Amino acid sequence: MDTPVLTQDTALQTWTDRFRQEAPATPAREAARQALETLAFPTRKWEAWKYTDIRHLLKQDFRQQPAQGMDPVPGHIPGLEADRLVFINGVFSPSDSDLSRNAGLATICPLAAAPAACLAQMGDLVGHQDIFAALNTAWAQAGVCVYVPDNQALAAPIHILHLSQPGETPLLSQHRNLLIIGAGARVTLLDAAHSTNSHPSFANHVTELWIGEGAEVDLIKLQDESAQATRIDTTVVSLAGKSRCSVFTFTLGGQLVRNNLSFLLTAPQAEGNLYGGYLLRNTQMVDNYTQVQHIAPHCLSNELYKGIIADQATSVFTGRIHVHKDAQKTNAYQSNRNILLSETGTVNTRPQLEIYADDVKCSHGAATGRLDENALYYLRARGIPERQARMMLIHAFAMEVASTLTLDPLVAYIEQRIHDAFS
Amino acid sequence: MNSMLHISNLHASVEGKQILRGLNLEIGPGEVHAIMGPNGAGKSTLASILAGKEDYEITDGQVTFHGKDLLDMDPEVRAGEGLFLAFQYPVEIPGVSMTNFLRTAVNAVREYRGQSVLSAGEFLKRMNETKAIVELDANLTKRAVNEGFSGGEKKRNEIFQLALLEPTFCILDETDSGLDIDALRIVSEAVNKLRTPERSFLVITHYQRLLDHIVPDFVHVLYQGRIVRSGGKELALELEEKGYDWIKEESLA
Repeated sequence: MDTPVLTQDTALQTWTDRFRQEAPATPAREAARQALETLAFPTRKWEAWKYTDIRHLLKQDFRQQPAQGMDPVPGHIPGLEADRLVFINGVFSPSDSDLSRNAGLATICPLAAAPAACLAQMGDLVGHQDIFAALNTAWAQAGVCVYVPDNQALAAPIHILHLSQPGETPLLSQHRNLLIIGAGARVTLLDAAHSTNSHPSFANHVTELWIGEGAEVDLIKLQDESAQATRIDTTVVSLAGKSRCSVFTFTLGGQLVRNNLSFLLTAPQAEGNLYGGYLLRNTQMVDNYTQVQHIAPHCLSNELYKGIIADQATSVFTGRIHVHKDAQKTNAYQSNRNILLSETGTVNTRPQLEIYADDVKCSHGAATGRLDENALYYLRARGIPERQARMMLIHAFAMEVASTLTLDPLVAYIEQRIHDAFS
Repeated sequence: MNSMLHISNLHASVEGKQILRGLNLEIGPGEVHAIMGPNGAGKSTLASILAGKEDYEITDGQVTFHGKDLLDMDPEVRAGEGLFLAFQYPVEIPGVSMTNFLRTAVNAVREYRGQSVLSAGEFLKRMNETKAIVELDANLTKRAVNEGFSGGEKKRNEIFQLALLEPTFCILDETDSGLDIDALRIVSEAVNKLRTPERSFLVITHYQRLLDHIVPDFVHVLYQGRIVRSGGKELALELEEKGYDWIKEESLA
């Protein structure tokens, strides 16, 4: 009876060995490597992975691959004035990067050059919550360290650009963001992923974000990879008192994207906003697994995920809100709204509220439907052809989330992508 | 035949329920016709069928518009051909800005009619000139379509769209419902300014008071899916005085 288990362990061992590479043996990495010996690969029997099958990851021979020069570097967002850190196949590319705009204001560098004090925090937020987090801590190839001193407002956003150019062999990349924002600081980060061809790839990315008291941070994820890309993106945000953080997750491309997003509201009057937008076609799948931990009283969390699902695409949304015993006067709002454009698309949405305080305001809602027929008729009655009228309604629905972004060039980019996808 | 709209023997049902039972109506260029009738007579059904709402089944009869088969056209084609419906209940469309909506609509019908597409600047100029006609609050065009508009603003917005789209045949579906006396005056004056020798109106109303302001050439009474009586503007006054029971009794007799 022991044999099948052993076989599976061996397979998993072989698989995890592919992630190995030269990396300094810090205590965090050592602990993660040890944790890997006991962490299992998720299956659909796990509640958190109920709708998402990722066994294909075990079957493909993913390999880390060297960076290749690209000219021009894709993923440029017209009009966006930002510091830029470019990673090609998971490897930092200094020649494509530009860190001049915030020079002298903050430490913004590849993880390899991170100050020891920052590195010491690595893993504190994400722990070994699952095999992917542990793999990343143990063997992340590269990453970004941002340390913004207290009361510093950055002069320009930071654009972290991931480019995948897989060869014939499926590409494996692991990236780590270590973002430490001081009290009263103000920062906007864009973390964007694109592919340059449609060979298979697997990206396992982890972001840890600490936000000091009264600081304000926008973190925007733009996931726009090929139809052969799998991405597991894990982000944990810890908010101090009176701080505000908005994480926007836009999934425009990729075959399978799993986003694990956790907010920890650790002190009073912290505000966490979780916004998501996804456009899914063909057999694309996105699984947004979100968690908000209301640890302290008087905090606010606001969650809005909106998606458009066409063809045979699938959306999964899980919204866990955990209000701890001492988190009185919590306000927590959650909404997941979807438009299904086909008979064959699938939407799974599940709010999971655990409330242990008695004086809280929590609301959650989920709605999945088709385009509003009355609105469509109204537009057509004014002479607008049906196709164009549909596009206008899709655009209006999808842009509700994006239009709140403060980066206008990014809004325009997303608008164009929506237009391209559905016209 | 000098007819713009010709409805003959129109029968229509919704979800198996017969609403129109042999309606005949002929409207010539520049004419204003009013259709009155008690609730449930089929007034709004007629408006919806003419504009192309898909919920109705036409079981008999035909409608020609400028000599073409109207019932065969998609709603957007009808608009291009010059038909306009001012909705009784204008639809709110969150996320679609008024300006974008109006410009898209104006250019869609212009394109259909073989006219040049207006540039952003030209359109803005047109829009600002037209606002004055319906006394539309300048800020409303910065909002989403009908979103958060008051009842009066919605109705004024319908007439505003009418003015921009330059139709030849306009249906006003209970445009007076929910309007206070000032809003009624503004809407009526706007409609009167938009009357031309080529442009016809079909004014659907439950009450006579709108017809004090928009004076019709013809008044028809719709009852149980048929026009049971037609006359001049004095028929509306007679209805106001005697109520619809008089018509009901007469048509049953």
